[in-house]
Amino acid sequence: MNLSEMLPELILALPLTLAIMFVALIAGFFLAVLATTFRIRRVPVISQLADLYVSYARSVPVVLQLFVAFYGLPVLVALFEISDFFSPNVAAMLGLSLYHGGYLSEVMRPAYLAVDRGQHDAADSLGYGFRQKIFRVVGPQAVHIALPGYGNALIYLIHNVALVMYIGAADVMATAHLVMQRHYNQYQFETYLLLAVIYSLLCLVAWLIVRFFERRSPMYASAERQVKMPLMANV
Amino acid sequence: MFDFDVLLPDTLSILSAVPLTLALAATIFVLSTIIGSLFAFIEQRRVPVLRQGVVAYKVVFKGVPMVIVIFLAYYGVPPALQFLTTLFGLEYNAHSLPNWILLVIALTACVSAFQAEIVKGALNSFDRGQADAAYSLGYTGGQMFRRILFPQVILAAIPDLANSVMVIMKALSLGFAIEVIDIFAQAQLTAALNYYYLEAFVVAVVIYMVIAYLVTFSADRAEKALRLRM
Repeated sequence: MNLSEMLPELILALPLTLAIMFVALIAGFFLAVLATTFRIRRVPVISQLADLYVSYARSVPVVLQLFVAFYGLPVLVALFEISDFFSPNVAAMLGLSLYHGGYLSEVMRPAYLAVDRGQHDAADSLGYGFRQKIFRVVGPQAVHIALPGYGNALIYLIHNVALVMYIGAADVMATAHLVMQRHYNQYQFETYLLLAVIYSLLCLVAWLIVRFFERRSPMYASAERQVKMPLMANV
Repeated sequence: MFDFDVLLPDTLSILSAVPLTLALAATIFVLSTIIGSLFAFIEQRRVPVLRQGVVAYKVVFKGVPMVIVIFLAYYGVPPALQFLTTLFGLEYNAHSLPNWILLVIALTACVSAFQAEIVKGALNSFDRGQADAAYSLGYTGGQMFRRILFPQVILAAIPDLANSVMVIMKALSLGFAIEVIDIFAQAQLTAALNYYYLEAFVVAVVIYMVIAYLVTFSADRAEKALRLRM
């Protein structure tokens, strides 16, 4: 296998892969904040819907979530009489955002609840509103608790970006398949090894970034209480 | 648009794949728990060279997405096995290995790394003082394990183990790439026959969510029952 010929081609596909990832990262974060807020405040009907959404994101395989987004979005859009503008890439972004948001919500909620009860009570007794309480007292401490879980969520997101080729998005995996077919499927094992290295490096970078913040965050924490979360696969 | 009439036949068709999926998941769960416990044991006992090996194994299998591990097993295991069989002069065509065995090998390899982490965490939650107390009462190592350590460790590990059962169930959905028919793949096949894609996938979503609910529910019940007996 000619590595110098294959690697540039794969690297050219990297920007789209990273774009899908970053959209999912940012949209997922806001979705998670929204879902977590509803679940914490126990707004009647909406919080049950948020619970349902989180269990959908957590208990359905990501491939299936991607297919649901891919086939479901045109139907949903047709209901509002907008013409179908969805490419596989958009469906991949949306599917992964929904997945990441639901998963992240289940990182944020335990972190919020793990902050010492007294801190909540103190903020309440000082007359803080919900928003003030989140931004000034509970939030900074919860961030410290949530960081390891967030790192895991990030790594799962990177792993699951590898699945978007199944709905036809032209990411690194799909490009690798094209290259393999061009070489009459001779070097499949080697190609997948190369892909494994690429994804490991992406994970390593993400892990280093999260660890950098993990080292910094204790300055906001009232106690050294960081919830240990085992890195458990999520596909 | 969404057609409600196909939901019932689709459901029946997709449900037919549930027993096989559960059987595969159970196999992978048992195998990976055994291997994971072995890894945790090696790390706990600080066995010199093996320990570094386990750490390296965990780093590798956590960094690589499962799809890629599955493909690596699909293209890598049969030739490797063929090499071994010819080395020992056995008459076996390794390329005739069924795909589901390759899927089991790949997923066991991945999940073992995570199971090791779970078992290690559960072992860390065990208070060493209790072991010392047991030994001072004249318990043998085996008795200590059976009567003191195991019941507490298994209780601490139940929620994580239930989670890993679900992870395995979901990971099996990647098997469709190498033609293993689980719930997701069956949904795809059903949809391909009648072109109602969204309907079949929605049915599969519901089935997965029901299974997840049942798994967490029974794990909760098991945890409560065991806690009462202690």
